[in-house]
Formats: sequence, C-alpha cells, structure tokens
Amino acid sequence: MSNSVISVISRFLEEYASSTPNKLKVIDAYLLYIMMTGALQFLYCLLVGTFPFNSFLSGFISCVGSFILAVCLRIQINPQNKGEFLSISPERAFADFLFAHTVLHLVVINFIG
Amino acid sequence: IFVSGISASFILLVLSLVLETQALTPTHHLTTTDVARLQALLSQPFTDLKSAYYSVVGLSKLGISVADAATCRFIKSNLDPSSVESLFFAAEASQALPGCEIPVSNDTRDLLLATVSEDSTASQIHQSVSALSSLGLPLASQEVVSALKARISKEDNVLTIILALQTASRLSQQAELGEILEEIEDLAARLDDLGGVYLQFEEGLEATALFVSAAYALSDHVDMEPPIDQVIQLVNSIFSKKSWDSLSEAFSVASAAESLSSNRFHVPIIVSAQGPAAISHSQPFLRLQVTNVLCKPLSSASVLVESATATSSKSAILSQAPFTLREYVGVFELNFMASQPASGYYQFSVAIAGDSRFVANHVELKVKVSTRVSINNMDLSVVDKDQSIGPKTTRVEYPAKAKASFMADSHQIFAMTFQLVDETTGVELTPHQTFVRLHNQKTGQEVVFVAEPDSKNLYKFELDTTERKTEFDSISGTYALYLMVGDATLENPILWNVADVVLKFLDEEAPSTIQAKTLYTPKPEIQHLFILPEKKPPTVVSNEFTALVLSPFLLLLILWFKLGANISNFTLSPSTVLFHIGHAAMLGLMYVYWTHLNMFQTLKYLAIIGSFTFLAGNRMLAQKAVKRYSNCFIFFFLVCKKTLFFFPKNSVYWPISIRFDTSAVFFFFNQCRIFILLCVDLIVTLLCAKHNLLNIDNFIFMKNNKWETYNNL
Repeated sequence: MSNSVISVISRFLEEYASSTPNKLKVIDAYLLYIMMTGALQFLYCLLVGTFPFNSFLSGFISCVGSFILAVCLRIQINPQNKGEFLSISPERAFADFLFAHTVLHLVVINFIG
Repeated sequence: IFVSGISASFILLVLSLVLETQALTPTHHLTTTDVARLQALLSQPFTDLKSAYYSVVGLSKLGISVADAATCRFIKSNLDPSSVESLFFAAEASQALPGCEIPVSNDTRDLLLATVSEDSTASQIHQSVSALSSLGLPLASQEVVSALKARISKEDNVLTIILALQTASRLSQQAELGEILEEIEDLAARLDDLGGVYLQFEEGLEATALFVSAAYALSDHVDMEPPIDQVIQLVNSIFSKKSWDSLSEAFSVASAAESLSSNRFHVPIIVSAQGPAAISHSQPFLRLQVTNVLCKPLSSASVLVESATATSSKSAILSQAPFTLREYVGVFELNFMASQPASGYYQFSVAIAGDSRFVANHVELKVKVSTRVSINNMDLSVVDKDQSIGPKTTRVEYPAKAKASFMADSHQIFAMTFQLVDETTGVELTPHQTFVRLHNQKTGQEVVFVAEPDSKNLYKFELDTTERKTEFDSISGTYALYLMVGDATLENPILWNVADVVLKFLDEEAPSTIQAKTLYTPKPEIQHLFILPEKKPPTVVSNEFTALVLSPFLLLLILWFKLGANISNFTLSPSTVLFHIGHAAMLGLMYVYWTHLNMFQTLKYLAIIGSFTFLAGNRMLAQKAVKRYSNCFIFFFLVCKKTLFFFPKNSVYWPISIRFDTSAVFFFFNQCRIFILLCVDLIVTLLCAKHNLLNIDNFIFMKNNKWETYNNL
C-alpha cells in the first residue's frame, strides 16, 4: 500500500521535473514560497494568539490572494491551455496579474493597520 | 383609515352629546380680589388722554364713578380738536364724568361728520360716531350703516367687525341694522373652541372681550337675542386671566364684565360655596354665594336644592328644598343638619331661578358632612394561648390611660377590642384610618398595625409575640400603645395612649443598639478602570517569528537560482525602464500609505502613478508580445482579422505609434474597459464613503500611529 503511494509520488516528481517548462517551475517556486509564508503566519497565530487580529487577517489574506493570483497566472500562461485562453496573451495575463496585485495590496495595506 | 376616522367621529359625537347634556358651569370667574385688582389697575394715574379714557370709562363700567374736577380739566386741556381719536376719548370720558362738558365748535362737528365715509378705517368711523353721539350732535345713521357695510366688505378681520358692532349700537333704532346684526353670528362662528371649556378668538383676550361687549350692546339696542349659545365658554376665556398687561386689556375685560352682568338676554351666574362646603353640628348651614360675573350679589335669585344624594349609598336625602337668603350679607343658606344626614359626602344639585336671563343656573356641588367620633367599650386583655386561664379584660375610658401595664410573652396574646360610634347619633362608624402604634420608649422603635372591624363593626386587634417578632426585631421591653383614628369626615381625629405593654420575646438575637437605616450616607466611590491594553506576547517571540516568516523568501531565491531564472532578456527600452520605475513607485506608495496617508490620498497618488505605469507597462508588454509573435504569420493574420473586425483603421482606437501592434491594441482596449470599470467602481465607493453613506471608519485603522483595538470595529 505505502509502496504504491511512494511510487506514485516519485513518478509524479519525475514527470514534473521533466515535462514542465521552466517558466512554470519559476511560478511554482513562487507559489511554494507564498504558501510557506502563509502557513508560518497561521502557525504564529495558533501559538501566540490573535492579538492584532486585523494584522493577522490582512497578512494571511495577502498570502492567500497572492497564491490565487499566481495560480491564475500559471494557468493562463501554460501553453497547454492555450486553447481555452485564445484571447488572452501571456502578456495580458501578466498585466492582469499586476493590476489585481495592486488592488490586493491596496486592501491589505488598508487593513493591516 | 376610513374605519378609524368614522369611529373617531362617532366617539366625538357621542362625547359632545354627553357634554351638552351636562350643565356647564364657569370654571373661571373673577373673585372679589380680582375685581379689586382690576379696579386698582384702572385707577392708576393717567398720563395722556387715551389712558384717561380707559381709566374713567373702565371704572364707570365697574360701577365706580370718578367725580373729579381735576380729571375733567385734564381731559379738556389734553383735547386736540383736530384729531378724531382725541375727540373720541374726550367725548366718551366726559360722558362718564358727571358735570363735565366738552365745548364743541362747528369745525369739530364738520370734522367728525366728514370722517363718516367709506374711505375712513373702521376705527375712525367708530370713533367719530361715538364722539358725535356722546357730544349730543346729530348724525345720519343710514350713511354710517352704508359706510360700515362697505368697510366690512373690504376688511373682513375680527376687530373691524367688532368696531362695526359697537358703532351700530350708537345709531338710531330706525336705521337698517339687520345686516350688521347678522355679523354677530358670523363672528361667533369664528371663535376657537378649546376643549369645550374655552371659546376665544385667536387674536386674543382683548378681541374676545370686546366682541362680547359689542355684541350684547348691539343686541340690547335692537332688542334681539344674540345668537351666542356658548356664553359660559366665553366667560371662562375672558375671566381666566387674573392680571392684565395693559390698560386696554383691563378696559376690555371691565366692559365685557359689565355687559355680561347687565344685558337683557344672558346673565351668567357664579355660584360658590362660602368657605369649604363642609357641614357639621357646629356649622350646620350650607352657605352659597350667588353673584354675577362682577361679583355683585343677585337680589332677584331664588336658590333651590333639586336633589341631595349620598355619594356612597346613592340614596336621596333632600328634594326640592329652598335656600333662605340672609339679606345683609347676600348669602343663601340651608340648614342641612336638620335633615340629619350621616357623615360622608353628598352630591347636591342646585338650581337658581328668578330671572329668565340666567345662564348656567344648574350647579353640582359636593358637600361634606363631618361628625365627631367617640370610642366605646375599649377592652384590653391578655389571653393565654392554650386558653387554660380565662382572659382578664380591662376597660379603659377615653382619654384616660390604663393604670397597670400589660405583660405578654410567648405564651400569651394581647388583644384589644373597641367600637367607634358617632358622638351624636350613636351610629357605628368605620373611619379610613384605625391604627395601633406600639412605641418603644428606650430604643425609639415604633411598629404600626391596622385594627380591622368585623361584620358587626367591632374593631379587634391581636398581638401575638411569636408571630410578630420580626416587626419588633425581637426586642423585649415596654411599649407604649397608641390608638390613632382619622378620617376626612371626622372633626376630632384621635391619638390616644391607651396603655403600656411589656413584651417579652424568646430569642433575643437582635443587636443591643439599633442603627437607623443608613439610606442617605455616601456610597463607596467607584474607581474607574481604564481599558487595560491587551496582553502582548514578548518582543523576542515576535521578532523570532518575523524572521521565520521572512525566511521562505530566501528559499524562493535559492529555488529560482537553481531553476535558472534570470533577467537576461531585460531590454533597456524607455518604456521598460519607466514601467519598472512606476511599479516600484507604486510599491513605495503602499508603504507610505501604511505609515502616513489615508485611503483618499493614496488613491489620488495611485491614480497618477498607476496610469503612468499602466501606459509604460502596456507599451513594454506590447513590444514583448510583438517580439514573441513577430515571426508567426498565422497569428498575425488572425489578429489582423480580429482587429479589422473590431477596430476600423481610421478609428480613434488606433494609436499611431503602435498601429502595427494589433494584438497589443486589442489587449489595450480590453484592459482599458476593465480598468475603467474598476476605476468607476472604486470612485463610486469612495464618493459614497466621503458623503457618509458608507462607514469610512472601517477604512481607517491607525489613528495617530496608535493602535485602535479591533474591538471597536
């Protein structure tokens, strides 16, 4: 049982390393970074307490929002998905990513207090 | 709405019927002190002709004649023969003074006659006609009537019509005064009814009083009853004010009082009891004063009790009994005690006859009959609880005190019985207050109990020491026993120290000294607790976690390095550089927003920097896109087709510099659309916030660089 899980995971990692283009790997590294930052913030909140709750919320939502936007960018940039995003060029996707981040940061800075 | 309206009007109708069937009596009237005050106000020394007129004529209306040669000289010296008003004042005042004659010249007469025309005001017409009539000069009544009619049709206000009425009462009886007489009814309809009690003009007391005197003067003159049926409400309005601001107001009240007391149609009468309406054996006569509004007794009246019923039992004591008049005093009296009424309250219905002019001649009075009480058969005894030893009763006579004191401990009950009877008739009474008070002389404690009568009207009081020990706080000792008897209809309330009672309580757990209840001592001060700041974690922990949270960034850089991410494709074209500068500026603005700015300022700067960055970025990305697809013919063809479809070549959407960057143009247009929509949305939100349509406090968290606890949100 555990054997098959391990073999599935190793196979997945192999496929990933070989078949994903570099650009997507860059974005994946960014996603991992965002996720870790969010997880660490949540850990702090669990351990120490929610004292400046609005700050915690703003930081956590910033991580979550950035993660989502980066995922959207990854989906839109992926050449395998070009059929579904004919009207959206990668540059357009990146520009949307930047604009959405501006709005997200505006809200986050407002809420961080 | 309709149902409630109909039901409300129905209720009002029923109420009005009920009110009308009850005889209305004046609630406000002048007493003798008020009349004296009115007289004093009118007797003040006068400064000019107008005040002289008010004083002299006002006092004559109150029945006081001012026979003073000095006044006559004053009037003559202050007379200005060229002014109609001055002539009016002088003429009227001189007529009220006996033996005072004003010299009249032909010019004066011509002036007065000339004033009688349609062009003069109503007051001028009134003054000239009155002056002519007082001075005994002839006048053409018909001319006056037509002038008055013309005046009324031009000016429809209340004072004009009142002056017209006054003027008409000075004209000859042959003149056609019918139309002016009708004005009384129209004017009476204009009176405001206040709660069914007051009836007055909105112009005030003076207008109402002048109306009354004018209407009755004219009605007397033509000998026709005025169509005024709410005389009592007028009386209430006019005589509710007992001190008057000006001479003219006092004059108007005096003339209204005079006309209401001596006109030929309606004379309201005031019936009041002399002193309190209370009768007892020492004071067996019920005395009533019957006067007119000027507090002058009415000689022709005859007063009759239609019925007198006891309020408690509703049985009639008297019917159709006349009052007798005590001549010199002007008071009507009735010996009510002769009918031997029991003590209590009686409702009298009194009718005053003698003159068909009397208004409000049915009066309801509440009369109290009081009596003296005496205590019979006061028996005090100490009964054993187990009834083994027979009770020993001691009889005490009022107002003596029992010689021996009574002892009662936990095995015994102290009992008291007595009877309360009317002194003269011997009828048993049940007064409202029959209290038994026990007063501890040493400690000052007092306990009060109520003695209740049984079915035979015999009062009983029992004191069981074990039952009542909480009231006494279980303090044994000598208590003085008092009996208190009181009632509104008793003339001799009783406080009688009957005996001394020594009470012994079993468990003496009470404190030796009794403290008076401290109700009004200062309470302990409340110390205000300011909100304590929340417990923050130690700085070390926070710093550690900050470092921990920033550490994934290093991980990211390492991963990127491993993946081979680089910036080798970085072109140094102006748009790229500008884009990166703008983007950096936006991030810097975020930091400045966090530390210094508020949302409005940030959005202002963001709009500026953002649009700049957007244009530069658009340029940069378009160039990148073109570079990427510059070799792809098919895509170019597709994009051209699309752009040709959406953007005709000569339209404004084709910026000249990027005419060939078709995809970029398409991208530009869509971006613009979305951006504009988002901007509009943001602007609308902020405008709402600015105009307090949104709660802007949720946008602002850091005030003065201090924490506001999020609890305030």
